[in-house]
Order: sequence, then C-alpha cells, then structure tokens
Amino acid sequence: MKVSLFITCLSDALYPRVGEAMVRLLAKYGVSLQFPTVQTCCGQPAFNSGYWKEARESAKTILDAFEDSDFVISPSGSCTGMIHHYPKLFEDDPVMLERANRLQSKSYEFTQFLVQVLGVTDVGAAFPHKVTYHPSCHGSRILGVKDEPLALIQNVKGLELVPLPFAEDCCGFGGTFAVKMADISGAMVTEKVDHVLETEAEVLVGLDMACLLNIAGNLRYRNEPVRVMHLAELLYEGVK
Amino acid sequence: MADTHKQWLEKLEAESRAKQELFMNDIAAKLRHPRMTQPPQHPYRGAPDFWKAFEWPEEERIKEFTDNFLSVGGHVARLQTMDEAKEYIVQKAQEMSAKYVVRQNQPELDALDLEEALTDSQVSVWNTDPEQYWRARAAEADFGIVIADHAVAYTGSVTVLSAENKGRSVSLLPTVLIIIIPVERLKTRLGEVLETFDQAGRDQLPAGIHFISGPSRSSDIENDLTIGVHGPGIVYALLVG
Amino acid sequence: MGAGSKTEATVKARAELALNDEFLRKAVRFTTERLRNGKKKASEEHGNWDEWRERGKQIRLHTIAHLDYYLNLFVNNARANGVHVHFANTGEEAVKLTLDIAEHANAKSVVKSKSMVTEELHLNHALESIGVEAVETDLGEYIIQLAGEMPSHIVIPAIHKNRYQIAELLSKEAGYTLPPDTTALAGFVRKKLREKFLEADIGMTGCNFAIAETGSMVLFENEGNARMVSTVPKTQITLMGMERIIPSWEDLEVMATLLPRSATGQKLTMYMSGITGPRRSEDADGPDEMHIIIVDNGRSLQLGDPEFQELLNCIRCGACLNACPVYRHIGGHAYGSTYSGPIGAVLTPSLNKNIAEWDDIANASSLCGACYEACPVKIPLHDMLVYLRRRKVESGNGNKLESIGMQGFATVMGNSSRLGGMLRLGKLGQKLVVRSGVIKTKLGPLKGWNTYRVTPSLPKESFRDRWDTLDQELKQGLKQMEPSMQQRMEELVKKRELEQKEGKGGHGHG
Repeated sequence: MKVSLFITCLSDALYPRVGEAMVRLLAKYGVSLQFPTVQTCCGQPAFNSGYWKEARESAKTILDAFEDSDFVISPSGSCTGMIHHYPKLFEDDPVMLERANRLQSKSYEFTQFLVQVLGVTDVGAAFPHKVTYHPSCHGSRILGVKDEPLALIQNVKGLELVPLPFAEDCCGFGGTFAVKMADISGAMVTEKVDHVLETEAEVLVGLDMACLLNIAGNLRYRNEPVRVMHLAELLYEGVK
Repeated sequence: MADTHKQWLEKLEAESRAKQELFMNDIAAKLRHPRMTQPPQHPYRGAPDFWKAFEWPEEERIKEFTDNFLSVGGHVARLQTMDEAKEYIVQKAQEMSAKYVVRQNQPELDALDLEEALTDSQVSVWNTDPEQYWRARAAEADFGIVIADHAVAYTGSVTVLSAENKGRSVSLLPTVLIIIIPVERLKTRLGEVLETFDQAGRDQLPAGIHFISGPSRSSDIENDLTIGVHGPGIVYALLVG
Repeated sequence: MGAGSKTEATVKARAELALNDEFLRKAVRFTTERLRNGKKKASEEHGNWDEWRERGKQIRLHTIAHLDYYLNLFVNNARANGVHVHFANTGEEAVKLTLDIAEHANAKSVVKSKSMVTEELHLNHALESIGVEAVETDLGEYIIQLAGEMPSHIVIPAIHKNRYQIAELLSKEAGYTLPPDTTALAGFVRKKLREKFLEADIGMTGCNFAIAETGSMVLFENEGNARMVSTVPKTQITLMGMERIIPSWEDLEVMATLLPRSATGQKLTMYMSGITGPRRSEDADGPDEMHIIIVDNGRSLQLGDPEFQELLNCIRCGACLNACPVYRHIGGHAYGSTYSGPIGAVLTPSLNKNIAEWDDIANASSLCGACYEACPVKIPLHDMLVYLRRRKVESGNGNKLESIGMQGFATVMGNSSRLGGMLRLGKLGQKLVVRSGVIKTKLGPLKGWNTYRVTPSLPKESFRDRWDTLDQELKQGLKQMEPSMQQRMEELVKKRELEQKEGKGGHGHG
C-alpha cells in the first residue's frame, strides 16, 4: 500500500511544521508516508486566474508524482479541491483525463483520510485551551469536509471549542484575489478577524494554510496574540 | 394613424408568427438538435415522490393553516356554520364602521343576506350592473368579501379564481379582505391545488388565479416590515365547517 | 452617495468608494444577514433541501435542454388564450415593440411592477422619451426611481438606502415633510400610487415563470402591486426572458418551494398569481388587451455552451447575493450593471459577450463557492467565473504583466528543482525586508497585501529540505498498522479499481 504526501507548495515553503506534524501523527497509526519530490504546486493560482496552459504545466508534476500511489494525502482542502478540477483542466486530452480521474479518486484531505479511511475520530490528544475553528471554503464546499474536523476537535481532551460567528464566510484570501482586489480582500479578512476576536479564543485552528496565512497576517498586523494553528499541528501537539 | 387597431394587431401577429419560426429554429440550432415537435420525456415532473405522498389529517391542516396565516399578520377564525360567518362579518363591519362593502356574486354569499344585515354599509355585489365601473367600486370599498376556491395548509394560502361573478379586484383593492374558507377545500400541499390546473387544461382556466397568503407587505425600507402596502392590509380567514 | 455613481470605470474603483461608505456597508450587511438567516431557517424547517434543489435543477435543465419545444408550446397556448405574443432578439427590438404598443394604446402613463428585464432594457427612459410617464410601483423600485438610481439588489432594490434618505426623497415628491418612519413612508406611497394605478393606461410586469402547457404567466410578490398592474389598466404588457419557461403547474410547486424560501425565507410570497390571457369578455376586471414580449438579448448565446447553459436555470432569487462575502462589503452598485452579486458577475459578461468586461467583474470574487451553496438550482457560479477568466486570457485579452507572471509560474512550478532553486533565492532575498520574523514593507507587489496584513518570512528549512532526516527518523520503529485499517484501505483500492473498470472513475468520495 503506497500512501503519499502531497505537501502543497505553501506548506513546503512557509509551513514545513504543518507537514511534519501530519506525517508524525499518521506514523502513530503505522502509516508510512512517501514524499515524491517531483511534486511542485497544484496549479491553482494559474487555474483560477484563467491561465490553464500554465496550470497544466504545474499540474503535470502532481500527476507524475502520484502516478503509482494508492492514497494521496494533503494538509489542504483547497489544493485537494484543485485536483478535483483536473478532469476539467485536461478534458481535451483523453490520456491525461484518465490520469486526472484516477488521481482525483485517490486524493484525500488530511482529516478526510483520518476519519473516512483510517476510521479515527479521537487521536487521544489533550489540549487545554479555548479554541475556535474556521472551516475553509474549498474543503467544506468542494470536498464536503464538514463533520470530520469537528469530530476530531470535539474529542480533544480539555479543549473548549467556541463557535466562530459567521464561520462559513470566506476569509478573503482567494489567491490572486487578495492582490488584485486588495481592498475588498482586506475588508473581508478584517471582518473575519473581528469575529475571531469576538470569541476570545486563544487559538484559531483551520485546515488550510492559505486561509490561515491570511488570517494570521491580519492578526499580527493588529498585534493580536491569538495563536493560529493547522489542525494537524494542534492534534500532534496534543499527543506529543 | 391610417390603420385601425385591429389591423395593427393583425399586422403584429403576422410578424410574430414569422419570427416565431426563426426564433425556435435558432434555439434548436444552438442546442444542436433538430426542431423538437413532440413532447420530450420529462422524468422529473413536479415535486419529489416522497412529497406527493404527504398529507395531514383535517385537524392538523386547520392548525397549520392557522399558525401560518397568523405568523404573517393575518387573522383566523374557526367557525362552525355560515351563520356564524355572517355574525362575524357583521360584527367586524360595525367595529370598523365599514361604509362600503363589495362582495363576490356567489350563491353562498347571497344566502348570508349581508345587504340586509349591514344596515350602516352600502353593499355592492360584483358585476351585477354592466354600467358600473366595478374596479372603482372595489377601490373605494372598506371591505371585500370572497369565498376561497381552494386553500393550502402547508403555506397558509388561499386560492381565488376569477370569473364573471368573481372579480379579481374584490380580493385586492379594499382595505380589509374577508375570505370564507369551507374547510373541505383546505388541502395540505400547494401541489394538490396546482395539479387541478393541469387537469383542467388551458381552455378551462380562468384569467386570474391568485394565491393569497396574508396581508400585503413590504420590507423594502431598511428591511423593516410594513403591512398593507398596495393590497389589503387587514385579512381575515374564516374557516367554516 | 458615491456608491450609486457609475462614473468610476472599474469594479475596483467603485468598490473602493463603497468600502469607504460606512452606512452603505452597514445597511447591506444588516439586510443580507437577515435574508440569509431567513433562508437558512426556512430551508431547514422545510427539510430535504438538497433533494428539492436537485429537483429544481433537473426541471430547469430539462426545460432549457428542450427550450425550442417548450417555448413554442407556451407561445401557441398563450396565443390561444388571446395574448398577443412578440419576439425580441435584442433589447432595442423589445423597446421598439413596447413603444409601438404604448403609442397604439394612446398611453399617457404606465404603471410597472418589478421586472429585472425592463431594467436590463432601460425601458423607463425609452417610455419617457416618447412622453409616456413610467411609474415603478414596487416600494423599493419606486424609491430608486425617485433617486434616479439602479437597483442594487435583485430582490431588495433599495437595500443601500436608509429611512432618512428615503424620507427626504418622498418628501420632495409629496411637497411636504414626511417623518423618517417606515409606516408613514409606506402609507404615503400607498396613497400616491393608488391614484397612479387607477389612472394608468398600461400595466407592465415581468414574469417569474411561464407555464408552457397552458400558456399562463406566474408572478410572485408581497405588496400586491403586480396584481394591481395586471388587474386595473386596460392594457397589460409583460416582458419575459425567453428562459422563464417551466412545463407545467405541477412543476410550479417545486419553483414555489425554492424561490420564496431562497429569496426572503418565506414559505410563499403573499401573492402568487397565475394569469392566463386577458379578461374574459364577461369579466368585469383584468386587462382588455394583453401582450407578452419574449426577450432574448444575449440569453440564447448560452444555449449549447456546456460551460454556461446552466446560467439560464437562474430563478432570480438573489440568494447568491445574500451569501456572497464580496457583495456584502461592496453592495450592488459596485458591479456597475443591472445584475449584481455573483449572478451578475457571470450574467453581465455572458449576456453581452463583452470581453472587456470579463476582466473586471469576474475578478471581484474570492471563488469561495458560497453562491453555489446558496443557489436553489445549483448553478456553479464559482466555476463559471473561472471559465470567464480563462476565456479572457485565451482570447488574448489577459493583463500583460499577469501573463508574464504566469509564464514564470509555469516555468518554476513545471519542475521541482527550479522550485527548490527559487526557495533558496527567496531566503537570500528576504534578508533585506524581514524584521522580527515578518515582512511589513508596503513597497512593490506586497503593497496591497501588507496594507491589511504582515507577511511571514521563509523558514530556515523548507519541508523538502527536511524530508530525508524526518523520513529516516520515522522509519525506525514505525509500528504495524491495525489490521482493520489495513483492510479498509485495501477494500477502498479494490472498489476504486472496479469502478474505474466500469468507467465510473473520477468521482469524489466526500
């Protein structure tokens, strides 16, 4: 059984600690992850901006990297969601389309794999803090990952989960949107952080580093001490 | 204008019929199929099956209708007989000092003899005099009185159909609307009423089919609810039977 | 104030004005929140919402896929009911037909109920140009008309105005001062428009649904003004988009379940009217003469286009506006067109096939998918926005700088060793700008981002730098996987292989 890690470029470059936490946590269940180094980026920034030729260049590295994997696991609902767009991206190329379909059917977001495949909803972690959770749009809307992270969070001992008001609202990241429409994006992230602060939580947890980069950036800009963590980090810290 | 109105309409119709062919052919071409002239298989007609099987018993229908109608600011009275309905109407007319009342021209309403009972009001019976401008009679009325053709519990709605003796204006222009609903006409679902129009077929349908679910309302100013914008602001549903 | 102006050329510039209008933002946020909570409550109370959405989608898909049959059937039945049916390929044709009818009716005034199609055609101005007074009678539309603005929401046109602004507008109309009180303001409008209804020569309506099998047209409303304009004046003109068709009354139950709940959270609007032809000769009210103008105006361009045909399924409920986090911050006018919000961002460029506009409006979205989730007929608006962006790029209308950037992206991301090189270069380069672990500079490409945030610096080691060490550490003493887990994984792989053999591959598992 070949289980591979799709690290995503953001975790690779900026947040290696997230990938590490995920790998270490899965190792506790005897999952030995492989890391094909030919992978780069899923191609989403180019795809969403309309540059599909460029997106295909990038997507090919992902298809190559995971050609013979049985399961592909990533710490991002958005990048896994992008893999769900591959059949559309390669719709005019029957060979690539077939590969894209195969990759889609074996790709999992981290909590999806933990809960749906391994059947784990309690990792035995303890984390005695007040925590709020931001469900990222692509994970919850493209992949339908809604209950899995909540189950994992609710089973952490000592953790007090405070509901985030308007949790399902986008944080305003949206890739190049944050640059192209900087003021609208800025208004969105400001409102998101207002809601996070309303909860008085010590920790904001999420499943997508792109959104968390955005929210953490605004928190730090406002000198707010709320700690921002990927759920894999929180769970791993809780079992360490 | 040289042409008469009729000639002009005929000219328009000829143009329309010619254009209709081009229009439909263009649609078919864009959809990349030959012009469809036979009805296609429609596998998803109407509500999901589980919904079509759904029905409340009568007492439940009455309760749900009442709750729904009250929740949007309507009034409901549960009455046993038409005599009680008459009493109710007379009392309301006195309470609000209704000067002008307009009612549909239906035998059930004739039997109430409101013309006799409402001593302080002038009661007009819809479309009984061809010389009258009936829309104006309805517009000046304080009370409009109609009998429901159907009612729906799930949405809290009443259906009124237009006819020679049943004006559309009677349920629309007066300040207060009173609707008498014989309870046996109260159905559970909207679909039970709608499918009767499919069964009746095009040439049996009246010009106006109106579902009324409460008083006229708007939330267009600061999302603040206002009752009685253009239609009747006070609506009584009298469930009789 | 500023948000109503269309003078700014881009969505970005108009959005900036809106973002600086504190009242506008508060008003839009307040109302959209109320509407979306209402929808949530109503759809949960009704239950099985996704099944109803799916049913709604299937009915719309089926009708549009056979539109030549159903529209033709509608037209023949409407004619048999005594309606004068007309066809307009373009907005100009629709306007011309309307003016022709108004002239032949010797009309001095037209009362209108809410119709997005007539907004699309700018019909009021056209009527006024031939000396016909056109009066909007929906309360919100009336306010917008007095203000000389466009609606900023499909369902709540005056969402951006407060009661003080409205009192001022209506006082001017009244000739005396009205208090900023909703009941008083609505009361004035009722009285004022009553006169207009009774004296108007023509009543004009839009059309929510048109029933093919009986040639009937259906209107949903709360105020009673649509009933007024279709009952009182001698002539009725209905403008309907060519895609408004549903096959039967039975199908209307599904639309009536989805539309009011999605729009305002109501079980049904206060009035739902089905109008089948002009008044019968023995009737004492209803129009003597009824016209229906069927409008294309860019709609048929979506037919046969697999990426955009579903756009015609839209039932104009406005739920996507209420769910959209971008709309809630910038309001409707920032979109600069008749239709705003996510549906407007897709519909406007699609109806116009206007490449210049694709750039602008389609970019005003973070692609979060809230619009799709809210849509009662499941239109994938977030995907369509990407398709629009792609068509713009592939037609050679992409932004030059962005194109160069994306070529760079493809070069770096097309090869993992180049990516590794870039990361090393980045670590060197960032030394110039990193202060206490973050980057705060507002120069260059980070300006927009860093106006609201700080940027983290690259860590000493990337994940790929660390992998070998980590891998070796974990491989030692890796425990055996539980047999039940092992078994489940094997079963999943087997199931997947089987499905692929049967050609059912590519489906999600979420």
